[in-house]
Amino acid sequence: MGFLQILTYLSGLVFVIAFGAKLLKYATMPMHVRWELYPIPHEGKEWGGSFYEEIDHWKKVRHKDHMAQYRFMVPEILFIRALHEDNKPLWYWSFPFHMGLYLCIGGLVFLGFGAFVQIFGMVPENSALASLFQSLTTVFAVPGYILGTIGALGLIVKRTTDSNLTDVTAGIDFMNLIWLGLLFVTGFIVWLQDPGFNVSRAFFQSLLTFGPMKEPMSAIHVVNLLIFIGFWAYFPFTPMTHMVSKYFMWDKVKWDDNPNRGDAGMDSKIKKYLTYPVTWAAVHIDSQGGKKTWADIATTNPWDNKEQK
Amino acid sequence: MRPEEISKKTEQLVTIKPEDLSPLPFPYDTYEETPITPLKEEQKKKWEHSLDGVSALTLPKPETPEEEERLVKAFLSGLEKLMTKENNWTFLQPLMLSMEYCAKCQTCADACPAFEASGRKDIYRPTFRADVLRKIAKKYLSKGGKILAGFRGHDIDLNWDTIARLAELAYRCTLCRRCASVCPVGVDNGLITHELRKLFSQEMGIAGPEIHEKGSVKHLKFGSSTGMTTAAVADIIEYLEDDIEEKTGKRIKIPLNKKGAEILLIHNAGEFMAWPENPMAFAILFDAAGIDYTLSTDLVGYDAVNYGLWYDDVQFARVALKHIEIARNLGVKKIVIGECGHAHKALSVIADRLLPGAQMIPRESSYTLLNDIVKSGKIKFDPTKNDFPVTLHDPCNAVRLMGIVKPQREVINAIFPPGRFREMEPHGVKNYCCGGGSGFAIMSSGNFTDWKRLVSGRKKLTQILNAFQGEMDPSIKKMVCAPCSNCKGQIRDMLESYEVYEKTGIWYTGLVELMVNAMVDQEKPFLEWPGEDDDDDM
Repeated sequence: MGFLQILTYLSGLVFVIAFGAKLLKYATMPMHVRWELYPIPHEGKEWGGSFYEEIDHWKKVRHKDHMAQYRFMVPEILFIRALHEDNKPLWYWSFPFHMGLYLCIGGLVFLGFGAFVQIFGMVPENSALASLFQSLTTVFAVPGYILGTIGALGLIVKRTTDSNLTDVTAGIDFMNLIWLGLLFVTGFIVWLQDPGFNVSRAFFQSLLTFGPMKEPMSAIHVVNLLIFIGFWAYFPFTPMTHMVSKYFMWDKVKWDDNPNRGDAGMDSKIKKYLTYPVTWAAVHIDSQGGKKTWADIATTNPWDNKEQK
Repeated sequence: MRPEEISKKTEQLVTIKPEDLSPLPFPYDTYEETPITPLKEEQKKKWEHSLDGVSALTLPKPETPEEEERLVKAFLSGLEKLMTKENNWTFLQPLMLSMEYCAKCQTCADACPAFEASGRKDIYRPTFRADVLRKIAKKYLSKGGKILAGFRGHDIDLNWDTIARLAELAYRCTLCRRCASVCPVGVDNGLITHELRKLFSQEMGIAGPEIHEKGSVKHLKFGSSTGMTTAAVADIIEYLEDDIEEKTGKRIKIPLNKKGAEILLIHNAGEFMAWPENPMAFAILFDAAGIDYTLSTDLVGYDAVNYGLWYDDVQFARVALKHIEIARNLGVKKIVIGECGHAHKALSVIADRLLPGAQMIPRESSYTLLNDIVKSGKIKFDPTKNDFPVTLHDPCNAVRLMGIVKPQREVINAIFPPGRFREMEPHGVKNYCCGGGSGFAIMSSGNFTDWKRLVSGRKKLTQILNAFQGEMDPSIKKMVCAPCSNCKGQIRDMLESYEVYEKTGIWYTGLVELMVNAMVDQEKPFLEWPGEDDDDDM
């Protein structure tokens, strides 16, 4: 096993642990109070209505249109609809950038499939399946490199020239765009050198088998791989993981309109939270530095009976 | 302007100039705006105003460097607490997600009416105050936060100027959450403003005086943020009964503290003082429809407002739990919330997870119940009695934040002749705030009233004027229906400041007043337009 393989494993390990920790952190935060924002697709009311529009809504069985959530979210993720509708000048660059990323990830998946079947001796030259995976790798990855490069360049220019963005853009934001831009550009050059992705597939195979890398790798390919390895490990520590907020902020915040109807799970959480100690220091809170709980302070009216009513 | 510049040692960061403001439609396209009244010299010496020359909080300046240092430390301590589950389980998850994930795309800026109306002043961008807080948290509270802080984009100085400006800036956003509805990654900068207000109030005791001392404290002390005591409320109700008799020729008994009634109706107590026609109209409608309801005269029970919603979770919980306790003691089946948008959201949505389910009691919007009354046919309406153009304001709290969009429209369509109702653009869940949201409608300290007039209310005034373009002749009376007390207050102030009724014939009212005006059984017009009655204080 070579140095590049070890780096790739380490990078993957960092990614899995850090990204997993991030998901766990948000998933285990307390249930918050409701903070929904309409329209909520599962309400099934295209004008943005909710169950509150119905008389005695708590007596009725709720019908959630779960498919509506997917009808909203799939185009949102794939085409960045919100940006398309509300910030088109940025969408022109953000869309190819993101679509480039998605396509490259797709290409990587098919490269992995190709490497897997190659372990069993199925190569594009002797297997229709392996040949299909090779073609799909190309079909996804190459447009991905091109779109990603266009998007990254466009975003760099946009963030340098648009007065709305210059004041909020930091050095690190340019670094991230350049990093990804280089990943796309070097990936494209690698493809020009190796149109069948044979070396890449061989490297992937070596990762799957923990074996040696049999094919020689060009210098630019090594550079491309190092850029990728570094980015994979770095990514979970950055706000570029905004797919996390995209899931939680929609599914668990904006669309969480589940009313409290005495569900046992919700009840036990609320009971637990009411026992949390409070240390807010303002006088009117009267937390006594953590001696009082939420139940204590919320059920105390410090002003009751102090003045004549 | 970069968010880091908030720490700059300068007399004033930004000046609002009339020529920068977004233009108003006809007949105000050539209107000469009055600029914001500068604070007097003695006020400037006393109060912090270095953000934009406006003081909403009348925040006193620290007298010594030691006091400044203590306040800076208190701020950081509060920020830390904001990010713990024990102190902030109520909003921790959406706060932390919004703190971490801004993509810096500025999509939210164009959705913000204050930013647009101000002439696109950077300090009013939804991201500006949120970014300041993000940068402080990263630099001062995260491990290694000071390493390469400039390159990483959070090299901000934390000094008293930063904090004083941030405190004022927390009160330049109406919490309408229009910004959150367009964010491609789901970030809620409105929530960050809300949390910032909580930090100031819950840790440092800093809040808008009208929403704290004169608001939620008065509510818990006297029973109402208006100062109306429990002893006074029964007398006021009796006056309303007299007025109803005068207007309708019929004596209606408004039930008080009726045990076992179907409904506890809670009004925003501001209605009793400023717009008594509103609770009167509810009483007339409920009587005519045979609704079994009661009002409460118990402490807090006759005022639906809950100002804690805008700035303090503890004050919020104290009031909300009192509302629920009163309803349970009366043994009612449900609470119906009058025409008050923030009370809708406070009691129906935010308070929903404060107690285990068995201790809760169903809450319903009056819009929904009123629509049900119309659909039931129990009351006969004659739409020709409302034969004037009307538009509808959507209170953010009840519409974008609760999804009550159709009932009020169905009511209007039933009580107006065809073609008289015109929507504002945009409307429904994409509406614009009246400009008085998050407490602004009742805040008038310092020279904040001028800021509301010029900036926060400007977009709504534009929408109202646009809704009636082509019929601006003041002899054509036109109505804005605003089914929310605070929105009504803000719209009243805007219409009066700009003399809109005199120049265009546009006035405002609530939903129930329009319903009673259209009742077949109502012999005299219920609505009063300005000038029709010398005692009118509508």
